[in-house]
Amino acid sequence: MTIRRLRLVLGLAIVVAASVIATPSAQRGYSQSYSGNVRYDGKFVFVRLSYPWYGGRGAPWAHDWPRGEEHFLKIFSEITSVQMHVTESSIMSLSDPDLFKFPVAYMAEPGFWGMGDEETRNLKNYLLKGGFLILDDFRNRDWGNVDLNFSKMFPQGQWVDLDASHPIFHSFFEINSLDIIPQAYDAGRPIFRGMYLDNDPNKRMFVVAAYNTDMSEFWEWSDRGYAPIDVTNEAYKIGINLFMYGITH
Amino acid sequence: MLSSIFEFLFKHQRLVFEQGDFGFGATRFMSLAALVAGVAAVYVVWTYRRLAAVPRRDRAALVGMRIALVAIVLFALMQPMLRLKVAVPQENFVGILLDDSRSMQVADHNNGPRSGFIQEQLGRPDAPLLTELGKRFQLRVFRFSSSAERLQSTGDLKFEGTGTRMGEALDRARDELSGLPVAGLVLVSDGADNSETTLDEAIAGLKSQAMPVFSVGVGRERLTRDVQVTRVETPRRALKGSSLVIDVVVTQTGYAGTKVPLIVEDDGRMVSTQDITLPRDGEAETLHVRFKVSDIGPRTIRFRIPVQGQEEVAQNNQRDALIDVYNRREKILYLEGEPRPEAKFVRQATDEDDNLQVVLLQRTAEATVSVPDKYLRLGVDSGEELINGFPATREELFGYRGIILGSVEASAFTPDQQRMLEDFVDVRGGSLLALGGGRSFAEGGWAGTPLSDALPVVLDPGSRGPQYPPAELVVRQSRTGENHPATQITDKPEEAPAKWRDLPPLTSLNPVTEVKPGATVLLTGVPARGTEQVVLAFQRYGRGKSIVMPVQDTWMWRMHAKMDLKDQTHHTFWQRLVRWVVDGVPDRVMASVSPDRVQRGEPVTITAEVSDPEYKGINDGRITASVTSPSGKVENVPMEWTVEHDGEYRARFTPSEDGLHKVNVGGAAKDGRDVGKGAVNLRVAPSDAEYFDAAMRAPLLRRVAEETEGRFFRADETSRLVDAITFSGKGITVVEEKELWDMPIILMLLLGLMGGEWMFRRSRGLA
Repeated sequence: MTIRRLRLVLGLAIVVAASVIATPSAQRGYSQSYSGNVRYDGKFVFVRLSYPWYGGRGAPWAHDWPRGEEHFLKIFSEITSVQMHVTESSIMSLSDPDLFKFPVAYMAEPGFWGMGDEETRNLKNYLLKGGFLILDDFRNRDWGNVDLNFSKMFPQGQWVDLDASHPIFHSFFEINSLDIIPQAYDAGRPIFRGMYLDNDPNKRMFVVAAYNTDMSEFWEWSDRGYAPIDVTNEAYKIGINLFMYGITH
Repeated sequence: MLSSIFEFLFKHQRLVFEQGDFGFGATRFMSLAALVAGVAAVYVVWTYRRLAAVPRRDRAALVGMRIALVAIVLFALMQPMLRLKVAVPQENFVGILLDDSRSMQVADHNNGPRSGFIQEQLGRPDAPLLTELGKRFQLRVFRFSSSAERLQSTGDLKFEGTGTRMGEALDRARDELSGLPVAGLVLVSDGADNSETTLDEAIAGLKSQAMPVFSVGVGRERLTRDVQVTRVETPRRALKGSSLVIDVVVTQTGYAGTKVPLIVEDDGRMVSTQDITLPRDGEAETLHVRFKVSDIGPRTIRFRIPVQGQEEVAQNNQRDALIDVYNRREKILYLEGEPRPEAKFVRQATDEDDNLQVVLLQRTAEATVSVPDKYLRLGVDSGEELINGFPATREELFGYRGIILGSVEASAFTPDQQRMLEDFVDVRGGSLLALGGGRSFAEGGWAGTPLSDALPVVLDPGSRGPQYPPAELVVRQSRTGENHPATQITDKPEEAPAKWRDLPPLTSLNPVTEVKPGATVLLTGVPARGTEQVVLAFQRYGRGKSIVMPVQDTWMWRMHAKMDLKDQTHHTFWQRLVRWVVDGVPDRVMASVSPDRVQRGEPVTITAEVSDPEYKGINDGRITASVTSPSGKVENVPMEWTVEHDGEYRARFTPSEDGLHKVNVGGAAKDGRDVGKGAVNLRVAPSDAEYFDAAMRAPLLRRVAEETEGRFFRADETSRLVDAITFSGKGITVVEEKELWDMPIILMLLLGLMGGEWMFRRSRGLA
């Protein structure tokens, strides 16, 4: 990552933030612009996975939606050459067969994630065929639920803590230290964990869990001064790397 | 029978009429006789005119018969005759050339081997034909197969020669008899010539010395019961683990419709078998045989059909082919202009193949005013490889054996890099596969670029860029694609149609519908609306090949919900496609031998193409072919630059041992730099060519005879052979006159006409 490109990112973040602030939906404080999933046409689509939720208030899978992806996609498209749908995104359940047309998927608050047999089979096939899953926005005891769900799919699967040397931290930006990753919660360091095919680090990693942090929280509020721009910038960088890795690896 | 009747009616055999010059003996009498005949004819007409009571038609018939009668008498009185040049007995030489090759053992002559004819008619001093010839001519007997030589005794014939070279045999006999009075050459053979050269020169030599050839065809022109593996087309080299689709041509007679197994063996181990139905008699059936080569080194692959009951030739049921199976990682550069799943899935497929190394150079961010393009490199050998993006020099680019061009626009390359891409195919002989995408083909501005010349499809210069939504294409194999190694997605060919039918559709942003002349379409795509589009096509371009696949998401054949997790279609397709991409791509030193199978003592030509890192031919180098024989003996053969082509060197080598020879080529350029190495294998073994197309070839034997003014005989028609040579007019001859006035046919015609007139008159009441 060159100094010039970092400056570019920073500048763009500010520009995007300013432009988003100026939009009517943002001024309402919460966008409700979802009007159905994006039809597959070969371009990248931000796919947010949904799962059953029977509690009150908003569903956890929808945390930071839609402003998180709206902001992220603007930065992602400006910085990279990925051909994508910038102003649209999709929400898909794990049983949706169309999920297989989008090889990278994002899930928020997996601490509340539950799935039946069909969803378990579908997601397992998705990951084994070549799909890539990004888990974000969870902490503490949430990990147990993530581990439980993955053990349903991969009883022998082992999570591996990733350090800064892992290619995922170099797929676009050169992130040489994980200390720069912002902490969205109250305590502890963000931890990135992955799982490989056949538990073999020489094979493909099909999931990355951004545990004990919340990247999309920074994306969502990047137009509100919720966090310093430098910190928000790091959240964008790690997000871009994770998605870039999912698209390319 | 007919010839006997002819000889009875005309007193002489037909041959005499064909060879002789017709004339009349009574020259002075001829004018007087004509005058008398004319007067007689006028008188006849006049006398019949007076018969007004006779109907006109009857009168015409009577006049006609009377005139014919007069004409025949006149003809006989003029003493017709034939003048022939007849060879003077024992003053002329006749060369007898006897086919001593293996094919003479084929048992299709009077229920015995063809050689039986030679044994019966020429094999003993008192053999009938030999005796007849000996009465009139001085004889010189030769045997021939792969070579020709004088024969002291016909008992020396073994009929074990492994080749038939009629041209060389005729040359040899001509040379030996040159300067002598030669009445003709007798060529006794089945005509199954299998030499590399045509007979044109031999025939021209015989014509120039006025030596007619009297060929005797032994055997039947068509075998009654035979199955033959006629031709097998295999690559000389193959990458380890490659699935080959080999064309095998089978012909047969007598077994039409029979189901037989076609077995493929790799050095004795069966690697494939398939049941085939034999075609109709005389028809050639091309079969597509699939098998995998997994053992490295020179492999003798045998294609075999078990011998059927009562086959006349059992040895032609199998063909051997030598394939050099090599083991290395073929390096392919995959340039992708945007991060997209296609590249990721292609690498997933090819990473499972130990013999493929797909190096991905994927642009993740485009250049700005101050920042160059940003790339992600995967699969590189070192940190330096492709560090500056796409290679800027030919030497660096030509180090790869194939290029996959993803969705990347033409303007991403400098003009020189665009020319390099074309040269990669044209000059280096590499393969380039262009994939579809929003920045590919016409939509990426490639129309009119140097690379567009190399592509097998026509690009629309008026494209307005990618149009969304993309066309959804149901992919189908073309007829050629059904049997092409790149498009085999099932191990069993019979399962392929259903598999293709079940595959999910792909999408395309590049409406490519027109291919160039010479291009081959392997896959097509049928959209819901609109015209059929090209999905996979290729063409040869210069030394290499260019391939297009204008779709953007073959990964759907892996990821799509309807694809079973265990389904390997996508991986199989890409592994076979990329293996085909690098198949046949030359190295810097390419060695070849011609022919690749010879017999001991036969010379072979070794050719080497030697190039520098930019694949320009290196001339004036010190290049040597080092030939290692099966016994371990190494022979170094210096190679000479041919001058005709840059970098092409040649040498001749004559093996003295049977078995597999390894030919290693290497050396140094004029400036002392090492040029690299190349290798090729040479098989030295007795030829089995004699057993293929072993039926008697009458057209060839007839051609040799007729072009030299000789005559063709079948083995059972040789009773007139001696006369044919005698009357050939060649050698020392005398003129002989054969009178024709006393031919029985003349007397019969006279009597017939007279009797006919009398009967006609009787029937009309005029007698």
